Amino acid sequence: MDRAQSPSQIPASTSKYHKPYFTPEEVDTLSAQRQLRGPQEDKIRQKACSFLEALGARIGFPRRTTATAQSLYHRFHLFFPRKDFNYHASSFFFADVALASAYVSTKMHDTLKKPRELLAVSYALRYPDLVAKSKNPAGEVDVDTMDPTMVERDRQRLLAVERLLLETICFNFTSKMAFPYVIKIGRAIGAEKKLTKLAWRLAVDSHRTLVPIEYPPVTVALASLYVASLLLSLETSSPLHQESEAQSAQEIRTLLSQHGDWEKKFQTHVEDLDGIAHIVLDLLIYATTTPSANTSPTTPSSPSPHPSPRNHHHHLSSGHSMNEPLPYNADQLTRLKIHLRELDHKPRHRQSCPSDQSADDTS
Amino acid sequence: MDPFEVRMQFLNLLRRLNATQQSIQKVVAFAVKYFKPCGEDLWDCIVEECQKGSINSRINILYCLDSLCEMSLLVKSHSNTTAHPSGNNQYLDFVARDIGKIVENVVPPGREGLPNLVSTRQILESWKAKRTIDPQIIDQILALLSTRKQQRNDKEKDKEKDPSRKRSAHLPRHEIFKRIEEDRERHKRLRERRWVQPISYNVPASQQLLTFMPFTERGDGEFELSIDVEFDNEWEATSDWNEDDEEACAEENALCFA
Repeated sequence: MDRAQSPSQIPASTSKYHKPYFTPEEVDTLSAQRQLRGPQEDKIRQKACSFLEALGARIGFPRRTTATAQSLYHRFHLFFPRKDFNYHASSFFFADVALASAYVSTKMHDTLKKPRELLAVSYALRYPDLVAKSKNPAGEVDVDTMDPTMVERDRQRLLAVERLLLETICFNFTSKMAFPYVIKIGRAIGAEKKLTKLAWRLAVDSHRTLVPIEYPPVTVALASLYVASLLLSLETSSPLHQESEAQSAQEIRTLLSQHGDWEKKFQTHVEDLDGIAHIVLDLLIYATTTPSANTSPTTPSSPSPHPSPRNHHHHLSSGHSMNEPLPYNADQLTRLKIHLRELDHKPRHRQSCPSDQSADDTS
Repeated sequence: MDPFEVRMQFLNLLRRLNATQQSIQKVVAFAVKYFKPCGEDLWDCIVEECQKGSINSRINILYCLDSLCEMSLLVKSHSNTTAHPSGNNQYLDFVARDIGKIVENVVPPGREGLPNLVSTRQILESWKAKRTIDPQIIDQILALLSTRKQQRNDKEKDKEKDPSRKRSAHLPRHEIFKRIEEDRERHKRLRERRWVQPISYNVPASQQLLTFMPFTERGDGEFELSIDVEFDNEWEATSDWNEDDEEACAEENALCFA
C-alpha cells in the first residue's frame, strides 16, 4: 500500500483563515487544482457520501451529524488531493477521510462517538463476511477480535486526517444547518407538511453536493422547498400526488420562482434558489440513471403504496433486491431543468470573501 | 441447559441487577440468548421481580428494559437484512403488551412511587421519540401518570389538613444515597444517548437518495423510516420563524457573501 504518502508527510498548514463558504467559482478552481473533476469524481464522491449515510444509519446519528460529515469530506478534498489519501486497496479507499469527517462532526454536534466505535461500525460495513462469521445477534463487529495492529494503524490514520481536517476548518466548531429552516420557512410560506417533508429529504440529499458549503442554510432550505414544489407539481398518475397537494405545491412553485417579498424576508435571492435547484436536479438525474439504484420504469410511477419494512427499502443483499420503481425518472427531471432555464434567472455575481488569503498553498 | 436452569440463572442475574452497565448488559445478553427457547418464561420473571422488589430495584429493572428494547431492535433489524429474517420482535411485543402493568409497579400510586416518576417519564418519552413501541400506547401511560400526579396534588392538600395521618415508610438512609449515585450515573448515560435516532441496517445502493424513498407516517408502526421519525420529531419541536432566525440569517449571509 505504498501508493499513498503517510499523512505526516503532507505539508501541515494550508488554509490559515477560516472560510465558511466558497463561491462556485472558487470551488471550480480548487477542484481543478485537486483534480476533482469528471464522472469518476462524481462516482467517488457519491460512494463516500453513501458510506457516511450507512455509518450514520447504523449508529443512529441525527441528520445534522451525517450532513456535516459529508460537507467536511467535500471541504477536505478541496484542499487535499484524493490520491494522497487512497490508503485502502479495496473499494473503500475513501474510508480514512470519511471516518475523520464523521469524527469531527460528532464533536461539532455533541453526538460523540470514539474513533474505535466508528471503526467498529466501518468494519461491519466494509467486511460483511466478518459480521456473518461473528454471529453477533446485532450484527456488530467486536473491535477486540480484529487484528490489533491493523486497528491501531487505522485509528492513527483517522486521527492524523482529523488534524488536517481541523486545519481546513480552522478549528471553528460552529455549523449552522438548513434542516430547522426547512420547517420554519415551510410553515411561514404555507407549505403543506408533505411538501416540507420532501424538502427536508432534499436538504439531506443536498449534502451529497457542495451546495451547503457554497450557500447559507436559509437559502439551501428555501431551495429545498422550491425543488420539492417542483417535484410535487409534476404531472403524474401516482396515487401519492393528490390534486390538492399538487395545487398547493404549484403555489409554492410559483412563489419561489419569481422575485417577491419573500426574498427580503428571508434575506435571499431567487437567482440563488435557481442555481441550487439545477445542482440538486442534476443529483437526482444522476441517481435515476445509475443502474444499481433502480429498475427500468419508463413511465412515471409511484413508489409502492404498501409500506416497506423499516429502512429495508433499497436493501441489496442477494435474494432481497427490492424492485421498487423510483418516483421520478430522468426525463421528467430533465424537463424540469429545461423549464427552469426558461425562467432565465442569471446567476448572481459573487465576490470571493476577503477573509481568506491563503486558500491553498499546497501544489 | 434445561428451561428450569435457565430460569434460575436468569432470576439470579435479575436479583443482582444494579445500575451499572455491566450488570444490565449481562441480563440483556442472557435474555436475548435464550429468547428462542424460553423468552416468554424469562419475561414472566421480569414482570414478577417488578412486583416484588424494592422501589430502587424496580427502576433498575425499567432501565434494564430500556437496554433490552434497544438490543431487541438491533437484533431484529439485523436479522431482517440477513438471508434468514427471523421475523420475531424479540421482547418488544411483550414490552408493548405489559408496559402498563410494569409502570404501575415501578411507579406505584402515592408517595411510594415518587422517586421513580421522573425517570420513568424520561424513559417513556425517549421510547416515544424513537418509536421503540407504539407511541399511542406510551401516550396512554403518560396520560395516566399525569392524572395520577393531579390526584396526588389534590391528596396532598387534604393531607395537610389532617396531620394525624400515618406517613408512608421512608427508604433507609444508605439506600437513598445509593439511589442518588445510581441516578447520577444513569442520567449521564441517558444524556449521552439522547441524540440517538432509530437505527437502521439498510445497505444503500451506491446512489441511494432519501428523496426517492417512499413516504411513511407515524401510523406505519415498524415500517416508519428513521428519516421520517426524525422529521416528525423535528416538526413537533421546531419553533416558528422569529427574530433570532433573522439575526442568524444575517450573520450567515455576511459570512457567505462579500
